[in-house]
Amino acid sequence: MKIIMDGKEVSAERGQTIVEVARRNGVYIPTLCHVPALEPAAMCRICTVELAEGRRSRLVTACNYPLRGDAEIHTDTPLLRNGRKVLIELLAPRCQGAKTLTQLAERYGADLNRFPAEDKHCIMCGLCARVCERVGGNVLALCGRGVEIEVDTSFGRLSPNCIGCGSCAQICPVDAIRIEDVDGERRVIVRGKEASRVPLRRCSACGVHFGPVIDLKQVLARAGENGVPDFNRDVCSACSRRSLARRLAERHYEQHEPGPHDPAEES
Amino acid sequence: MATATSTAPELAWTKKISAPQELAQYRQTLIESIDPSTPCIRVCCGTGCKAVGSLDVLAALKTAVAAAGVDVKVVPEIKRTGCHGFCSRGPLLTLQPQDLFYQRVKPEDTEEIVRKTVVGGEVIPRFLYKPPGSKEPIAKVHDIPFFAKQTKLVLKRVGRIDPFDIRDAIADGAYQGLAKILTEMTPQQVIEEIKVARLRGRGGAGFPTGIKWESCASQPGRHYVICNGDEGDPGAFMDASVMEGDPHAVLEGMAIAAYAMGSDRGFLYVRMEYPLAVQTLTAAIRQAEDLGLLGSNIMGTGFGFKASISTGAGAFVCGESSALMSSLEGKVGRPRAKYIRSTERGFRDSPSNLNNVETYANVPEIILRGGQWYAGYGTERSTGTKVFSLTGNVHNVGLVEVPMGTSLREIVFGIGGGIPNKKQLKAVQTGGPSGGCIPIPGKFIDINVGFGKLAEIGSMMGSGGMIVMDENTCMVEVSRYFINFLVEESCGQCTPCREGLTRMREILSRITQGEGREGDIEQLEEIGQFTNNFSLCGLGTSAANPVLSTIKYFREEYEAHIRSKKCPAGVCKPLYYYEIDPDTCTGCGLCLKRCPAGAITGEKKKAHLIHQEACIKCMECYRNCKFDSIRIM
Repeated sequence: MKIIMDGKEVSAERGQTIVEVARRNGVYIPTLCHVPALEPAAMCRICTVELAEGRRSRLVTACNYPLRGDAEIHTDTPLLRNGRKVLIELLAPRCQGAKTLTQLAERYGADLNRFPAEDKHCIMCGLCARVCERVGGNVLALCGRGVEIEVDTSFGRLSPNCIGCGSCAQICPVDAIRIEDVDGERRVIVRGKEASRVPLRRCSACGVHFGPVIDLKQVLARAGENGVPDFNRDVCSACSRRSLARRLAERHYEQHEPGPHDPAEES
Repeated sequence: MATATSTAPELAWTKKISAPQELAQYRQTLIESIDPSTPCIRVCCGTGCKAVGSLDVLAALKTAVAAAGVDVKVVPEIKRTGCHGFCSRGPLLTLQPQDLFYQRVKPEDTEEIVRKTVVGGEVIPRFLYKPPGSKEPIAKVHDIPFFAKQTKLVLKRVGRIDPFDIRDAIADGAYQGLAKILTEMTPQQVIEEIKVARLRGRGGAGFPTGIKWESCASQPGRHYVICNGDEGDPGAFMDASVMEGDPHAVLEGMAIAAYAMGSDRGFLYVRMEYPLAVQTLTAAIRQAEDLGLLGSNIMGTGFGFKASISTGAGAFVCGESSALMSSLEGKVGRPRAKYIRSTERGFRDSPSNLNNVETYANVPEIILRGGQWYAGYGTERSTGTKVFSLTGNVHNVGLVEVPMGTSLREIVFGIGGGIPNKKQLKAVQTGGPSGGCIPIPGKFIDINVGFGKLAEIGSMMGSGGMIVMDENTCMVEVSRYFINFLVEESCGQCTPCREGLTRMREILSRITQGEGREGDIEQLEEIGQFTNNFSLCGLGTSAANPVLSTIKYFREEYEAHIRSKKCPAGVCKPLYYYEIDPDTCTGCGLCLKRCPAGAITGEKKKAHLIHQEACIKCMECYRNCKFDSIRIM
């Protein structure tokens, strides 16, 4: 399989996506809605590249286009640069001041103020919803349609299924999701609106609140695991470490205390 | 299911057809049971005629016949049929054996029709159709240009049979194609025949059906045959009429496709806004299964095909293939971004063949009469016929089937009867909201309608919507209307379609409000081209077509809106006013009488005057003036 990217032949394996091949060969293709760990959704469209397969030339999204045969790819033509510029200009009003957008705007010469701001604090990459489906309790989803599409819980209510894992907050490229641990509860706040509350566990040793009280059954069922991994349910990680350290120390001193059959004593 | 006055004897419904040859025998008994000289009144009960009360006419006819029972020598058969096509003239009746066409019939007229026409054999002139500009009424169906100039292959049974009675369809030849392939053709031969016919998908893209079937059949795993009945284009009702008028053609086409691809399961995705289509299809599936023409072990051959109906919830985007399959799986109806054909992995990740209603409806005839015969219709690249729904500023609004390659002139003037009110034809919009506007004055009037030709001039075939626009249509407003429709129907997941269309709507609204700015046209072009290039699904990649094609052909109209703040067509209210031409005004006073705002003053036989501050621009004076003295300024 011969893949030519921007004029140079690059190494690629059959079935790899264009983004994977580009990353591997140090070719830059911008992405907004793509992380390697999640199934690509091709929603943001900024990774669109020009592809010539045989005689046909067309525009495809690099994040999800699997290479199956000889192809010639152009990742940075004037058409693409201008398209990306317009795309950033169109996205900018949704999310003023987002670092990802300002960086891209600089690269492609986009005017972030071309259209009037209508701050929605979201670039609609859908990563939170996808990671929640994969890792969390499938709480967040893209609700509504058209201009009104937004990340929300079912019927906009506090969701009982959230496991408080925080993946959504961690993955959000514009930091629109916050996790707050207050009053013994973990709150997931999506664009200023509370999405779920999960009670926190209290450490039986020191009394601080730590990790959420969760029912892992659903998550494990989706992950295809049979049982809950063994971990200490009652103590916080600090106390857990402390108790492990104590046990290790105790074992050490037990070994080194002089006894009747201590070989060290004999030598 | 049979109509109360049906003369066809009740045949054993419980008996299944157990061999393909039996179907022909059954058909023969059905044909023999009908005396061709029996009068038959067909009442159009398509959605259009139903809306103007054809069901009341049907009921009144039955009462009238029953009341006249003593005098009637032969009891006429009264059939409720699917759409006759001539929707602007409903409710419609055709009367056999005289071959009469009665239009705009009211329930109270039925007694007279039974007494005079059915019993007395007399033609009642006031129900006859008069072509525009002619005083001579035309009595017979086949003399009316609207019908005479059509070639009906897909619609051949629509409007003739009772869609709720399978015997009608069988007597007319339904399921003969299925019987033929089950006895004498291999799946490969079926695909070959479709390829010889060069049938192309009627949903819009025009992909060769035979090639699609072949690639689906070559995939391993369970196959699904899916029918796209989610027709959502504004002003389009081709598929609705086929499903409502001849559901068996669609079902037979699907069964043949299933046989060709080794499938045993099919789904019809019908939009919920087509309740009548859901009813006719449900009844058709049940009756066909009762007769052993669908379901397991069809006609005793061992081949089985189970079809079921799934209703969509009214999202336009669900007509897109991957969104349709998502919706069918019970998920959100959003297009999926996958570079894999649904013939490889579609519904439930299995090879799935998705075709449009009209595509399937073409199949039985191709099988029966051969691909060569079918390819004889139309042009080299676009074979067969195409059903168009002709709407807008045209005399004969309705459903029209013509061979591919027929000229626009023939469709709009020959069949459509031209433009009402002596107006000039301005443009024809084809291909639904994602299609384009074809400017008519000049070179495009004689363009031959086919897949390639329309794409060449920046429009598309689409599923067959055809909106005729006269000189009082503002092209900026037209593109604003379509963009607004698409903004409402965009699924919203991809950036270009969601944000780009919204911005285009903003700019277009501004222009129609008289607040257009220099550079707006260029902005529209830039965003439009971007949206078409970068969007995820078919909706987005064609969404800007209405804007781009109107800018291409009617740029000066955009410029008039922006620069001179004028709407030349007199549609965008802030951008025009009416004035009375004092030289031609006779002072008849009609405009004064009609004006609801009291904005017109004047003495009899002297030129009148419109007071602009009071005028609400309702167009009443303009429409009613007999001397064309009201001018759009």
